[in-house]
Amino acid sequence: MMPRRSLVSVVDDDESVRESLPDLLRQFGFAAEAFSSAEEFLASDVVGETRCLLLDIAMPGMSGPDLQQELTRRRQAIPIVFITAYGEASVLPRLLARGAAQCLVKPFSEAALLDAVSAALK
Amino acid sequence: MTGQPVEPTGGWTGFQAVNGDEPVAGATATDLISILDTVEVPIVVLRRDFTIAGFNKAAADVLRLSPSDIGRASRTISVFAGLPRLEEQCSQVIASGVESRTDLRDGDRSFVIRISPYAKGDRQVTGTVLTFTNVTAFRASIDQVIYERECTKAILNAVADPVVVLSADQRIHSGNRAFYTMFFELASLRTRLNGMLAGTRAFQPVEVDHDFPGEGRRTLLLHARPLSMPGHPERRVLVTFEDITARKQAEAANDLRAIAERKDGLRRSEAFLAEAQRLSLTGSFSWRVSTDEITWSEQLYRIFEFDPSMPVTLELIGTRVHPEDTLLLQDMIERARGTGTDFEYEHRLRMPDGSIKYLHMVAHGTRDEDGRLEYIGAVQDVTARRLSEQALGKAQSELAHVARVTALSTLTASIAHEVNQPLSGIITNASTCLRMLAADPPDVDGARETARRTIRDGNRASDVIKRVRALFTKKEWATESVDLNEATREVVALLLSELQRNRVMLQSELAHDLPAVTGDRVQLQQVVLNLLRNASDAMVDVHDRPRHLLISTEREDGDHVRLSVRDNGVGVDPQDIDKLLDAFYTTKSDGMGIGLSVSRSIVERHHGLLWAEPNDGPGVTFSISIPTDPESGTS
Repeated sequence: MMPRRSLVSVVDDDESVRESLPDLLRQFGFAAEAFSSAEEFLASDVVGETRCLLLDIAMPGMSGPDLQQELTRRRQAIPIVFITAYGEASVLPRLLARGAAQCLVKPFSEAALLDAVSAALK
Repeated sequence: MTGQPVEPTGGWTGFQAVNGDEPVAGATATDLISILDTVEVPIVVLRRDFTIAGFNKAAADVLRLSPSDIGRASRTISVFAGLPRLEEQCSQVIASGVESRTDLRDGDRSFVIRISPYAKGDRQVTGTVLTFTNVTAFRASIDQVIYERECTKAILNAVADPVVVLSADQRIHSGNRAFYTMFFELASLRTRLNGMLAGTRAFQPVEVDHDFPGEGRRTLLLHARPLSMPGHPERRVLVTFEDITARKQAEAANDLRAIAERKDGLRRSEAFLAEAQRLSLTGSFSWRVSTDEITWSEQLYRIFEFDPSMPVTLELIGTRVHPEDTLLLQDMIERARGTGTDFEYEHRLRMPDGSIKYLHMVAHGTRDEDGRLEYIGAVQDVTARRLSEQALGKAQSELAHVARVTALSTLTASIAHEVNQPLSGIITNASTCLRMLAADPPDVDGARETARRTIRDGNRASDVIKRVRALFTKKEWATESVDLNEATREVVALLLSELQRNRVMLQSELAHDLPAVTGDRVQLQQVVLNLLRNASDAMVDVHDRPRHLLISTEREDGDHVRLSVRDNGVGVDPQDIDKLLDAFYTTKSDGMGIGLSVSRSIVERHHGLLWAEPNDGPGVTFSISIPTDPESGTS
């Protein structure tokens, strides 16, 4: 019997990311769930189970950093790996300072993804 | 002396007595007496001793003499009582042999008596012959005339206004009392009076001001009427003088009030003008070209910082003009002298303290009735505006640069985001696909699904690129009939102040009969704008001559229209001319190459040509040639 697989949740408004990323994560051996917005994730019943959050920064409605703050407020210490299509180098130190595990700039390699998620789960 | 009546009632008996020793031959004497008696004029003959020798019938009737009077002393005859000097006068006539006359008044009758010597043959004078001419009616008419004259005089003298009658030679014939008390010089009227006296023209009433001693200055209205009588050779003029001083004073008071009001208004508007000139930093001038007579307003003196007492000359103006603008000014003056058309230009002044002023001048040419040219113009000190415009222009170009850079980075980020999303999907899907295929057993269905998503994301990226390209491609190619002259004028209007700021003299020679071309008006205007800007930029380093820019249009053979822009700038090496039009080739630091290559592609889209040729003198001429609109009708 395999140990219970860690749940990695993906929150991104981009559909191709929501479709492709969970499949790859499952190939890595993680359980994966995708949500199109921060609000949808917060409303789901997997918040407590989620061991790692792959979180888009720029989204309509609640942004990635907003969700990060909300989780902190709720004392849900979920390691977060930010993913972004913008190369906003300036915001990265701030996000990392707030406890983000890693930040991936799209497009990223599967190795970079695996490294980031593995590091977050440690 | 019997007093017996003689028939007819003459007193000629006495003749015999006078000539007693030599009686008249009977028949002759009788005839003579008969003749004398038929004469209506009384005739009386006196002897030397003044006794009556005889008389004719008329004398008996008129003087009431009777034959008994013969031999009586004349002084005893009542009719002679009115002639106390008769004896003395007769003595003189007898002594001298020369006749004389005397007047006799007898009641209401008047006579003129002619006293002639009475001589018989060549003998000595023995008496006198008195002939009585009755002048009663004549005297009465003279008296009437005198009376009438006196009446007229009295009336004229009673008239307050002077009246004078002048003779043809303008001597005063007569005048009333008012005239003589108001004597004055008529010299000023002589010419007019002459004309009237000669009958060549009517005399119009004329006003004369004159100082009268004790009365002061009076205004008189002179009327003159010719006085002439039919058949009378003399021409006279009646001149009347109407004293209109009081009326004039009343009118003058009204006029003065009106003038005062006008003056007041004028002063106010002058004050407004001066204040407006001061506030708007605008001075006005006039320049009479033939004499170079220049008049300045006060404000213009202030702008040039000259003393207002200095006479303005072109030389004086030249001392203030910025050395770099001297040629421009000379060129402007020469053009202005020739054409007489309105002109407008900008130049700088260098003040004694080294500061620079920017002036904007507008001048309007007028010609007087002799065809002499005069310019009326306004000069505005636009230094503050120019400096702020320059600062603004600099800020704008900096801002534009920042905006460009910002826009570019925003654009880049936007493109990156749009493209990175599908790229990210592609990489992730491809990675998943490889892993699914590598699994044991391979998840072929999963791999197929991820490969399908990879293709979809690839298409998505491609769509993004298409969208970006569409964003930067000009919407539509507008095709319309374009009047190249009109389009050029609009561009020139836009660019004029920039050209003037660069001290470029722009000359337009646009052909009158230019046919329209077919194309995109805005794009063609961009070409014209680009050519003008390039030409202006090419003359930036020209300081030894006026910067001339000529834009011209003309109709070419073969249904083409040509537009040329000729500068006298630094020019281009002939071998570089072709390269000029290549994209990204530029002789300037701020990159005109792209502008020219874009211009060329626009012209080529209009099926036209763009080329450059070096001038004979300095500079380059850029030309475009575009086919005319086949429907423009002028072809």
